[in-house]
Amino acid sequence: MTSSSISGRQPQAVRSALAILEEVAAAGVGITAKEISTALRIPPATTYRLLNLLVAEEYLVRLPDLGGFALGRRSANLAPSSVAAPTAARQVMRRLRDRVRWGAHLVAFDRHRLTFLDPDPDHPPTDADELSRHPHASGLGRLLLAEHGLPDGPLTRLTPDTVVDRDELARRLDEVRETGLARQCGEFHATLGCLAVAVRAPDDRRLVAGLALTGPAERVAAPNTELVDLLHAHAGDLAPLLA
Amino acid sequence: MTRIPGLRARSPVAGLHRRALRPLGVFAQSVATTAPAGAMASTPLLVIAVAGRGAPWSFAVAAVLVGLVAACIAVFARRMAAAGGLYSFTAKGLGAGGAYACAVAMVVGYGLLVAAAFSGVSWYGGALLARVFPGVPAVGAGVALVVVLAVTVAVCAVRGVRLAGRVMLVIEAASIGLILVVLVALAVTTAPSGMVAEGGVAGVSGVSGVSGVSGVSGVSGVSGVGAVGAVGIGGVAVGVLPALAAFIGFDSAATLGVEARRPYASVPRAIGATAAVTAVLYLVATLVLLAAPGAAASGVTSPPSGDLSWASVLMDAGIVASFGACALAALNTLVRVLFSLAREGLAPAALGRTHRRHLTPAIAVAVTVPVLAAVVVVGTLAGIAPGAVFGGLLSVGTLAFLAAYLLVCVAAPRFLARIGELTRGVVITSVLASVALAATAVVVVLHAGTGLVVTLAALLVVGTGGWLLLRRLRGPALRAMGVYDETTTADVLAVRAR
Repeated sequence: MTSSSISGRQPQAVRSALAILEEVAAAGVGITAKEISTALRIPPATTYRLLNLLVAEEYLVRLPDLGGFALGRRSANLAPSSVAAPTAARQVMRRLRDRVRWGAHLVAFDRHRLTFLDPDPDHPPTDADELSRHPHASGLGRLLLAEHGLPDGPLTRLTPDTVVDRDELARRLDEVRETGLARQCGEFHATLGCLAVAVRAPDDRRLVAGLALTGPAERVAAPNTELVDLLHAHAGDLAPLLA
Repeated sequence: MTRIPGLRARSPVAGLHRRALRPLGVFAQSVATTAPAGAMASTPLLVIAVAGRGAPWSFAVAAVLVGLVAACIAVFARRMAAAGGLYSFTAKGLGAGGAYACAVAMVVGYGLLVAAAFSGVSWYGGALLARVFPGVPAVGAGVALVVVLAVTVAVCAVRGVRLAGRVMLVIEAASIGLILVVLVALAVTTAPSGMVAEGGVAGVSGVSGVSGVSGVSGVSGVSGVGAVGAVGIGGVAVGVLPALAAFIGFDSAATLGVEARRPYASVPRAIGATAAVTAVLYLVATLVLLAAPGAAASGVTSPPSGDLSWASVLMDAGIVASFGACALAALNTLVRVLFSLAREGLAPAALGRTHRRHLTPAIAVAVTVPVLAAVVVVGTLAGIAPGAVFGGLLSVGTLAFLAAYLLVCVAAPRFLARIGELTRGVVITSVLASVALAATAVVVVLHAGTGLVVTLAALLVVGTGGWLLLRRLRGPALRAMGVYDETTTADVLAVRAR
């Protein structure tokens, strides 16, 4: 198998693969294998093999003509960009914060990562990387999982209340898909809970961001009908600004 | 997001459960389609019958050829993910004509493979039931088994490839284990000391004891070629044909490209691994049979022989299970090829619809299963010997597979040249594989009986008629043939277009 011929003991192959990634990033969408081989002076056969490997791992994608390459979504994980919310979106968030006493946070979703677009300055949220690592225990993470399915690895128990049973979690995710609301009470921090709703692109309903309210666990557990309606309304306002 | 010319927002094969199947499930699909347990029990005897002690060499040559074909398929599978498998690949190298021929070959090949698996279950299963429960008529039991299997297989295929993969994996592992245990046990108990070392000659004489298997020799369409016990280059060459027939279907993981997680890695790996694993299994089975003539005489001749030894019952159970898994796997492939053709506009649009919840080509399953099961049931009830039904279906099917493999091998270097990634290795691989496959097909046709020749001629006429009809009715769709799971805007990290 060609893919197993590249191991940690072959620094040149790793170096070449990274150079190829960089070349595709620099050249933009549509560069061909031949052009990469010429530009980097890597032998064609090696270039093709490394390209196929990078495509298989989804760092690169082939364009529909099958000859051209572009960076795949997975490459974004290599350089998490510092994203900022547009002013209009921040105004929506300010309006929301004026009407509720809890922390209101806006995060962007990119595949399996979440990044804070507009965290509440008065109620600093949990670290985004921490949230990305344990999506099963947070409301925002469950929005992601409801979209992409459960991860393969084990589920960490962060508090005594964390749901770590896969079947139970799958049922919760079904609820999220039905109601559009992800609720979590004391599963990430014992005393805190959150209500989260999705912000979806108006045209193709793609999940782009999540809007969450965090508050005391026992209060989050209440129905909070008004708060939920408020969240949905603001998520609707945010959608055209973010997608 | 930047708009990149030529990039669609939605994949043309949307509707399938995209990127969900794990590598093991992809591997199970390919392994189950080749039905190694069933093939291990029958093919080595056929090869030994024509190649004598050269049988392992026949298998080795066939395995190398299959390896070359797998390399040509991998050229495509590393670069594109398609539901149509080989025909979608061929389209990118040979254009519409080659793709159409390959699609016809695949529909015929996989359709007949499903039917052959049904009839194999009816044949071995009916005989097994009749022996274990005396008084049960073998034909009636066989027909009932086909109906039960058809319903089960259809349900599994609709419920999704993840469930189907799990079912196939368990069945295949169990039946291969069963047959290996039986083979080794028989070898140990029946091989006289000293025989193993020079067992070749004795092995050949043992073959005369298994002439009952000749019913299966339709498998490769080579019945009557070569004398029993012929040893030498000629015998080895003739033995390659039935040996090759044991591998057909190893490419079927290619049709899971859309559904596999990381398809560019898992699909070519599954195809290569299937070729390697089955080659080893067939070689082991052949060596055991050559070393222990008793094994051949007592264990493997199941349907014709009437004894009720534990080994033959276990063996039959394994073979029946293997054919059952093969029916499911081949059906999975067949419906995805039809699904893909329907999405191209070259088959009725209904076949391109997927089940709303399970995301599988459910309409195609509902259409094909009753037809294929009916072929077997009617054939059996009409009084045709089950062995003849099985052999007849497989001999035509094998030729169809050879044609599809030949087309994809010819297409590989042309495809690479078109996208500017041609290497010398691929050219050599493609030329070797194409020449060997073409030669094999020619030999099969030259030695074919009248029935096979008439069937092939009829298929050619129907295929050509279909081509002319489609060219008139669906010209643009035909010329644009070869939809696959293209990169969509959502997959690209857009920086800027060039």
